[in-house]
Amino acid sequence: MWKAIVLFVVLIFTVPADALDGTDLLKQIDRNLNPESFEMYRKLINIEPDGRKKEFTLFSVKKGLDKIAALFLEPASEKGRSTLRLGDNMWLYIPAVGKPIRITSLQSVIGGVFNNSDILQLDYAAEYDVVNVDDSGSEYLLFLKAKTRTVAYDQLKIRADKNQKLPTEIECLTEAGMLIKTLYFKQVKDFGGGIVRPSYVETDSPLYKGYKSVMIFGKIKKRDFRDEVFTLTFMPNIDSLR
Amino acid sequence: MKPDRLCESWIWSLILVLWFSAALVLPLGLRAEETYTFDFSETEKKPYHFSGYLEARPVHFRADTDSALYKLRFYNRDEGNTLQEFNSKLQLEGSYEKDIIRLYFKTNTDYKHSYLGGDEQSTFYEAYGSIQPSYSFKIDAGKRNFKWGKGYAWNPAGFIDRPKDPEEPEIGVEGYIALSADYIRSFSGPLKTISFMPVLLPVSKHINESFGKRDYLNPAGKIYFLFFDTDIDLIFLAGGSKTTRWGADFSRNITTNWEIHGEFGWIKDYQRTFIDRFGKSDTDEYNAFSYLIGMRYLTARDTTFIFEYYHNDTGFMEDELRDYFDFINDGYQVYLDTGNVEALQTAAVLTEKNYGGNNPMRDYLYLRIIQKEPFDILYFNPAVTTILNLHDRSFTLAPEIVYTRITNLELRLKTSIIVGSDDTEYGEKPNDYRLELRAGYYF
Repeated sequence: MWKAIVLFVVLIFTVPADALDGTDLLKQIDRNLNPESFEMYRKLINIEPDGRKKEFTLFSVKKGLDKIAALFLEPASEKGRSTLRLGDNMWLYIPAVGKPIRITSLQSVIGGVFNNSDILQLDYAAEYDVVNVDDSGSEYLLFLKAKTRTVAYDQLKIRADKNQKLPTEIECLTEAGMLIKTLYFKQVKDFGGGIVRPSYVETDSPLYKGYKSVMIFGKIKKRDFRDEVFTLTFMPNIDSLR
Repeated sequence: MKPDRLCESWIWSLILVLWFSAALVLPLGLRAEETYTFDFSETEKKPYHFSGYLEARPVHFRADTDSALYKLRFYNRDEGNTLQEFNSKLQLEGSYEKDIIRLYFKTNTDYKHSYLGGDEQSTFYEAYGSIQPSYSFKIDAGKRNFKWGKGYAWNPAGFIDRPKDPEEPEIGVEGYIALSADYIRSFSGPLKTISFMPVLLPVSKHINESFGKRDYLNPAGKIYFLFFDTDIDLIFLAGGSKTTRWGADFSRNITTNWEIHGEFGWIKDYQRTFIDRFGKSDTDEYNAFSYLIGMRYLTARDTTFIFEYYHNDTGFMEDELRDYFDFINDGYQVYLDTGNVEALQTAAVLTEKNYGGNNPMRDYLYLRIIQKEPFDILYFNPAVTTILNLHDRSFTLAPEIVYTRITNLELRLKTSIIVGSDDTEYGEKPNDYRLELRAGYYF
């Protein structure tokens, strides 16, 4: 009996009063990265080992936890293509084909290290459970496990800055723990409207040795949309939102 | 084959291969400076936009001089065993937007230089105006494509679209003039979306003449549901230009890397005209039920498989197609014996109207395998496609490589090998194989 009381007291004094719930921390990181509903302009750059690069410009809109769409603005060969994600459902619309087709999260509509799931990223808390949080000095290390098998990466390791509660590095792993890619978050920038987040995300992958891809965030703005915007029928008209 | 023609064809092929290899291997001049910036002026939206696509497509054919369709096409010409043609395409696209109004056009110009000389054809693929008073409602009026159906290679429910070429299903086609609307509603719960598209499609002497019988206003429509994560469409076409048609399709993901889809089209009182081997024409009438089932599967190694089975209930039976080929062969023999071309001219008309469409028989398999960026070569995507006629076992096998490393430039080298015995669909095609390079530039 006395041993149990002593153990209880020791636990009370060893766990800090502000100990974070992992899920709450992940939700804070999500909100610090993006508002729940927003519009955004991004540039994606694929860089080859010899330095040659290929650039894509995207306009994206997101609403709530599970609705996001992106429209390619540049280059001319991709212009007008749009992608839509509703939870686990993803579609690609190519103007020349003229109708949306279902695609998978692991595919890449642009080639290179970024796949569709990276381009149409939902909130991490919507797709992952926090398995563990390590508090290591100036940063947190969150271990995440996918809620379902339909998520592109089975496990994530998020390294997050303790003060800003923003990710600095994310490792994407398979179920067996094999590293698929690493995302590096850099250059924290004030986008206005209370949005302060990394404006530069770099990724490399052991599957694409020597290649890397960069995502540069241009504008992010809070904006609400009607649900009808996130439908197959609306995909050819996403440009009308700009 | 004449020696100079043989030499010319090999030089032609060599040029194609070298050009493609050079684009694949050689760097693009000086290395770009490694500064990754985002110029926001790129994202500014203008009220108008203008873009285009320019394509060059030289093709080399190896003729099958014993085939029925070669005899039909070349009975009075000596073009040898190999043929070359040069195709080019120019597409211009533009739009203008003001408030809720949008005007859009897309032109298409094809130029072909072949053994018959030069031929140019230009048309508007699409030209329409839209009014979008809200995000859930839109009206379109003008010439446009609808692209109904979920099938990749075929669309038995694509009632108001021109048939696509299953060997090039992603290439745009000309639309029809119509008045249409889109109404969308979203919900929470298992039914996430409903949208309804009513269409009115007129046919007269100068409007949509190729669609069907003249002087009818044809109503059509599509209702779309996203229900339990499944795309479902219900489709109909009525009016007098064609007999009444009903159709439906679906598509859903079984897993993140496995999609299945299906589609059917039911045509009331479909009329089919065919000939016997003596050229005597006959017509039968029945309710035709065509359908398609397919899937798309992505492996962990980034290999995509697209597979479809298609039953074309409007197609010809094996013996009917054999009669058609026999009629051509007999007509060719008569021409050789007497110089009389009447039977061959009749066959040419029948080919254009009835037998000359893509995949004119009843049951087909389609398989396309695409390997994304093998050996870590970015933007390099080899693929192989086969279409198999299940009745006569003839097929086409088309390996290709696509390279898109250079921004806005797409290079594709493709060979189509045709395999089939006498009196089969592919065996009677006018060539044994085809080698083509397609260089397309977007601007």
